[in-house]
Amino acid sequence: MHIGKELEISRRAFLQRSGQLAAMGAASSYALGLAGIGEAAAFSSDGGYKALVCVFLYGGNDHGNTLIPFDPANYGRYAAIRGGINEEGGGIALPRASLAGTVLLPAGGQTLTDDITYALAPSMPRMKARFDQGVMAPLLNVGPLIAPMTRAQYDNNSVPRPPKLFSHNDQQSTWQSSQPEGSQTGWGGRMGDLAQSANTNAMFTAINATGNAVFLSGRQALPYQVSPSGAILFRPLRTGRLFGSGTAASALETILKSASGNILAADHATINDRSIKFGSFVNNALANAAIATDFGTGNGLAAQLRTVAGMIAARRSLGVTRQVFMVSMGGYDNHDGLIGRHDGLLAQLDFALDAFYRATVELGVADRVTTFTASDFGRTLSSNGDGSDHGWGGHHFVLGASVAGGRFYGRAPHVSVDTPDQVGRGRLLPTTSVDEYSATLAKWLGVSPSELPSIAPNIGRFANSDLGFMQQPETVAAAAKRMT
Amino acid sequence: MLKPQTDGEAARFLLQASFSASSGAIAEVRNDGFAPWLDRAMRQANDVSAAGYFEARGFDRVDANRFYNGTTTGDWMIWSQLLSGGNVLRKRFALALSEFFVVSLGDIDISWRGPAIGEYWDILNRNAFGSFRTLIEEITLNPAMGVYLNTRGNRRADPRTGRVPDENYGREIMQLFSIGLFELNPDGTPRTNGGEPIETYTNDDVTGIAKVFTGYDFNYSQTQAFPDPTNPARTVAGVDFARRPMTADPSKWSRPSADGFHAQEEKRFLGLVIPAGTNASESLRLALDHLVAHPNVGPFFARQMIQRLVTSNPSPAYVGRVAAVFANNGQGRRGDLGAVFKAILLDEEARAMANVANPAFGKLREPMLRFVQLARTFGVRSASGNFEVGSLSDPANRLGQSPLRSPSVFNFFRPGYFPAGSQIATNNLLAPEFQVVNETSVAGYVNFLEGAVGMSASYLRDLSLDYAAELPLAHDPARLVDHLDLLLTANQLSAPVRETITGAIGSFAVQQTSSDADKLRRIHAAVLLVMASTDYLVQK
Repeated sequence: MHIGKELEISRRAFLQRSGQLAAMGAASSYALGLAGIGEAAAFSSDGGYKALVCVFLYGGNDHGNTLIPFDPANYGRYAAIRGGINEEGGGIALPRASLAGTVLLPAGGQTLTDDITYALAPSMPRMKARFDQGVMAPLLNVGPLIAPMTRAQYDNNSVPRPPKLFSHNDQQSTWQSSQPEGSQTGWGGRMGDLAQSANTNAMFTAINATGNAVFLSGRQALPYQVSPSGAILFRPLRTGRLFGSGTAASALETILKSASGNILAADHATINDRSIKFGSFVNNALANAAIATDFGTGNGLAAQLRTVAGMIAARRSLGVTRQVFMVSMGGYDNHDGLIGRHDGLLAQLDFALDAFYRATVELGVADRVTTFTASDFGRTLSSNGDGSDHGWGGHHFVLGASVAGGRFYGRAPHVSVDTPDQVGRGRLLPTTSVDEYSATLAKWLGVSPSELPSIAPNIGRFANSDLGFMQQPETVAAAAKRMT
Repeated sequence: MLKPQTDGEAARFLLQASFSASSGAIAEVRNDGFAPWLDRAMRQANDVSAAGYFEARGFDRVDANRFYNGTTTGDWMIWSQLLSGGNVLRKRFALALSEFFVVSLGDIDISWRGPAIGEYWDILNRNAFGSFRTLIEEITLNPAMGVYLNTRGNRRADPRTGRVPDENYGREIMQLFSIGLFELNPDGTPRTNGGEPIETYTNDDVTGIAKVFTGYDFNYSQTQAFPDPTNPARTVAGVDFARRPMTADPSKWSRPSADGFHAQEEKRFLGLVIPAGTNASESLRLALDHLVAHPNVGPFFARQMIQRLVTSNPSPAYVGRVAAVFANNGQGRRGDLGAVFKAILLDEEARAMANVANPAFGKLREPMLRFVQLARTFGVRSASGNFEVGSLSDPANRLGQSPLRSPSVFNFFRPGYFPAGSQIATNNLLAPEFQVVNETSVAGYVNFLEGAVGMSASYLRDLSLDYAAELPLAHDPARLVDHLDLLLTANQLSAPVRETITGAIGSFAVQQTSSDADKLRRIHAAVLLVMASTDYLVQK
């Protein structure tokens, strides 16, 4: 098997483009912009604004209590494996009755593995409503794969598997970049590389509203970090006074931008410089982009998404038509105390995703912004007493008016700890790869089919480069017209 | 005997080995030479332990303050440890160890979490120059770690319910606390097979070792119950259980029972077979002996400790020399942490003054170390005596890092991190601390400094600095900058930055006869400008 061939192809394409960029001497230039440099074939920026928002759930979400089997037969299997008694729950199984309000029934009917019916976690009523509305779709059992793999191939090592499965940091990196920790670029950043051409201000292509992560690092595209309260300005530079002295304040600016010889120092000065250069610009743009949507209080993810909504509202001032964002929340590594903690996390997620969707409706871009979840890994179906352990595949959500929602995508796994779609304790062997997931989203954003391997390096080994859960905004608009 | 040739060389050594430099310590190091000074300073006893702090401040008592419920005293304790008191080398290494054996105050959801993490800190401190093997056993059984990585309450498999042992500690003790993911050469470079790194363990090893960490719970055998002062209908357990090593003896649990929950079946991992029927303490002994004997431990640990203390990019030879000392301290003992600490600091690569000008040498000072250095250099005092400083974790409005408050067991930053699109990346270098550097945190840091150099920020109101040595120099900008350059950067400010700072602080009108307030304004500006400079931020 020729692992890495696609990477080589995309690398050559990249070198061509970066040669053109270098000739312009303007890589990542805020002042000059990068509009239209040799990217026409690689990326389509037709049809107005579009953005992707990655919601990363750090710690490895327990997919087993996020989408729960509801039909009696499959619920019975679930409860037995998770230590529950009949339909009353117990162990780490949720009571069946608690799920009645969040059952997901696809409008046109949809037959899944073992005729399973799923309910969302009881603390996710808003996503249940978005599913019913047709703008949210669950993607079942998705995870990193290098190539399609059966349990037999896993056992006899005849197909390469992603390195360092079940390790937090490495699987975070693998989800974000296709490679374990140490990876140089993530697929958000690689989309950013292609999308920069669509933006006047390339710097605002990849926006990070959470901690540093590889997802938004491209070969040229750099993540611009913004806090939940907008850009943080250097106070002495904003006021023009350091302990009362204007001279000292301007000396501070000089010093922040200076470095002498050391490579680490030079990079720090560059980040200082970027922060100084863009901070006021971003805050002015945000100040002129009011959003009425309520994002609540005390919800860190919602606060990040509020900033993202602000950046989207300010897209014209910022000079962007294609953007990739990242936000995150932590706390999902529930080896202990799963019941009692996980539902609260999902409640926050449910509120934050819904608030953000409402904001995109308010801004008139609901069909132009697609939000999707990702996480380190899924978890074991079996219990360690009051929690679950590290797994592999898991279930995820895609949300937006361009999502062909209200139904499931991917293949439902058996509710089992001994079938061939798991590798022990119900750790799911993914049946849909992260590459298929990312390629589908990338295509929607405008990445041309020939460039998909640069986003999703393993995509050539999978049958689908488009899982079908996305539709173009024009199609959405036409469908909406037909309905009225 | 090797002695520093200049004050700058001595200060550079002090800033690698401890938290700050003073004129007195610089003179001592110059007089004694590096190794004798280190030997002497390492022998200093711990003057106040965390447990002693809690007792002296009354924070381990059950009273209306409800100190048992919350994290506040945990933050105050660690700041008091870092900002005050002697035995700074031991504390410096303990802090580095806390970034390898990570426990986080924000994620220990039990009563008495302050004293629990205090005990964890005392374990690190007590063993900082002791034995790696003793240290890893003590942290394994510590209640804070037990809660953080779920050994507490972990039970053997139960076929009736399908329950199996929790894998969390078993996985992380291998991945993070001992051997790491790849097989390593003695110099820390990865061993390869057909160009590919070789993984050290499989998931079967994880499920195997997980059985070792079953059957443990808090030891309540000497824990008293007190009436809850705010609710007489309840009682509150005293602090002891949160400090004592967890026990697999069920007669000592809060609900004593005859039967324990330690796995009785055979335990098999990394080539070790612990026979069926082996009890908890014997299983633990065999498992930890086996892990610590693994050839990876020395290079895996040595490399990260070098990164914390000296440079982000040590040469393989440097790692190899320190790892060799880990393997054998010269007297046939493996895992002598004091010997490792000395080997790191006395190594030619750490000491070579030529490396100050090597563009790839050094490390970004961690934000919490910058703050500790500021406080210790300028005579910090706590009005209450408690060092009432809370979490400084917020990068937008605080320092962006707080001790014992890593966001996860993977520390604040990963040893292999490098920033994307940087010169660091194009030069194939690593810069772990850059994982907490971005547009937000760099501005947040300077804003933090503005409120810290005079301790004027509301969240630092318990602290004050005296600047006793600086006030007499304040009227002379050049001398003031000379002085600060030595103590804060070991004379590593570049000429243009020195000139810029000297010129800028000249804009404050200060004479010898000026008020202290006027002099302090100039001093505050000078300190801030030095500490904002990239010459300072990268410790070389």
